[in-house]
Amino acid sequence: MNLTSLLPIAMQKETIKSSAQQDESVGAEVSVSADVAESPAGRPDYIKVCDFSFNYVPAVRVLHNITMEIPERQVTAFIGPSGCGKTTLLRNFNRMNDLIDGVSHEGKIYVNDQDIYDRNLEVISLRKRIGMVFQKSNPFPKSIYENVIYSLRVSGQKKKAILDETVERSLKSAALWEETKDRLHDSALGLSGGQMQRLCIARAIANRPEILLMDEPCSALDPIATAKIEELITELKENFTVVIVTHNMQQATRVSDRAAYFYLGKLVEMDDTTKLFSNPEQKETEDYISGRFG
Amino acid sequence: MNQSNTEHILASFEEALRESRNSVLRMASVAQQNLEHAITGLLSRNSELCNQAIADDDEVNSYEKSIDGEGLKTLMRFSPVATDLRQVLAAMKIANNLERISDEAGSIARRARKIGKQAEVAETRMMEPLYEMAAELLRDGIRAYAESDVSLAMSLYELDQKLDKAHRKTIKELTKAMEQDPENLKVYLHLIFVVRCLERIGDHAVNIGEESVFVESATDIRHVGADALKEFSSE
Repeated sequence: MNLTSLLPIAMQKETIKSSAQQDESVGAEVSVSADVAESPAGRPDYIKVCDFSFNYVPAVRVLHNITMEIPERQVTAFIGPSGCGKTTLLRNFNRMNDLIDGVSHEGKIYVNDQDIYDRNLEVISLRKRIGMVFQKSNPFPKSIYENVIYSLRVSGQKKKAILDETVERSLKSAALWEETKDRLHDSALGLSGGQMQRLCIARAIANRPEILLMDEPCSALDPIATAKIEELITELKENFTVVIVTHNMQQATRVSDRAAYFYLGKLVEMDDTTKLFSNPEQKETEDYISGRFG
Repeated sequence: MNQSNTEHILASFEEALRESRNSVLRMASVAQQNLEHAITGLLSRNSELCNQAIADDDEVNSYEKSIDGEGLKTLMRFSPVATDLRQVLAAMKIANNLERISDEAGSIARRARKIGKQAEVAETRMMEPLYEMAAELLRDGIRAYAESDVSLAMSLYELDQKLDKAHRKTIKELTKAMEQDPENLKVYLHLIFVVRCLERIGDHAVNIGEESVFVESATDIRHVGADALKEFSSE
């Protein structure tokens, strides 16, 4: 059916006005790379996956011919049952899977039009452009301050003014500044679970990445901490392209602009989140999102 | 259409959806009966039937509250999406339309009681064809919902236009009768209100059809205009 005038209201793409727009101080704190800043308005595709297949060992193919585009500065959610390949694809975006023996791939992945498997590309430089937040918060056994600037320390940054600015900017962007500004030198391990996860987000964005990958970032958190992270994700998309893996359907509907459903290593359907959750094209998608799967 | 006939993993969710659908159908049958009693009471000058239609409106009101309450609970407990979400929303909105239909039937019954106390006029018979059209619209609207029949739901517009036309024509004739027979002015006035109630019932039945289309095709066909409707029908 191709009748835009007849599309249900729920399917009309909503413009989510993040609170970052209302609180300009948050948006102003995080600058973006020159490439992103120069991108034309209208959300161009930032990550392009072209006929990409991935094998953990030669005989086990876990991703099959995935082709998708992930728009710039929007939140894209990957959903699907366990083992469907969503985390594997996410970890390919910063080539974390390279660390596993015997893996191989076919096809291409482009980040801002750059082939991430290009032989001339330095993996470290790629990973600097892509921050990652994991299911379980993993702060280092150091102070809050040191956690945030860890990547700057590793890259040899010693100027206190820059380090201080980074800590404040990152913690503000991760909505953690107010709670921690008076105890920056306390151990990060003394924070609550939700605060630790926000600290990990602050650490991930300290180096001003272009993309933020989040692998079930709220699965170990209580509803309040989850709500804070979700609010944060909505704010972060003003400056970052966010890709989130989640098993929580409601979370996907709340935070994402686009959603992709994976099953058995294949991309079944990708669409605007409101469309995918109100009127999916594929029966398999409807079965999964409405709890009929299996 | 990608709707699933696979059952939910959660049996209680499946049961909640099934029960909500069944409650709507039970409510529809009571509303239909109330309308029938009201019109039969009018045509046969039977005040008992009129009283029954008025009393049974309470049952319809209870159904509306119960369907809304269960719908709210289903939204809260299961956070439905896609077809399931549309089903829950449609059940609540259809229940609202049925409640209004039963209210209109109650109004007809109240007018019929008053008409029954006045002198009989031949124009009362004019209500019969209008009722038949309204009842058919209601029956088809409910059938479209029960049987997930989009084409049947789409056919309601044509019949509703006929009812609207008949409504305008009958009002004209009743106004003329008022001028020619001023002694029975009150009766004609009551009949004009009955005609209006029947026309409103047709509109509510169309609303029910529109909700059925929304459940089945995820398309909102309300207030889209004749051209868009034509295009949708041809899809």
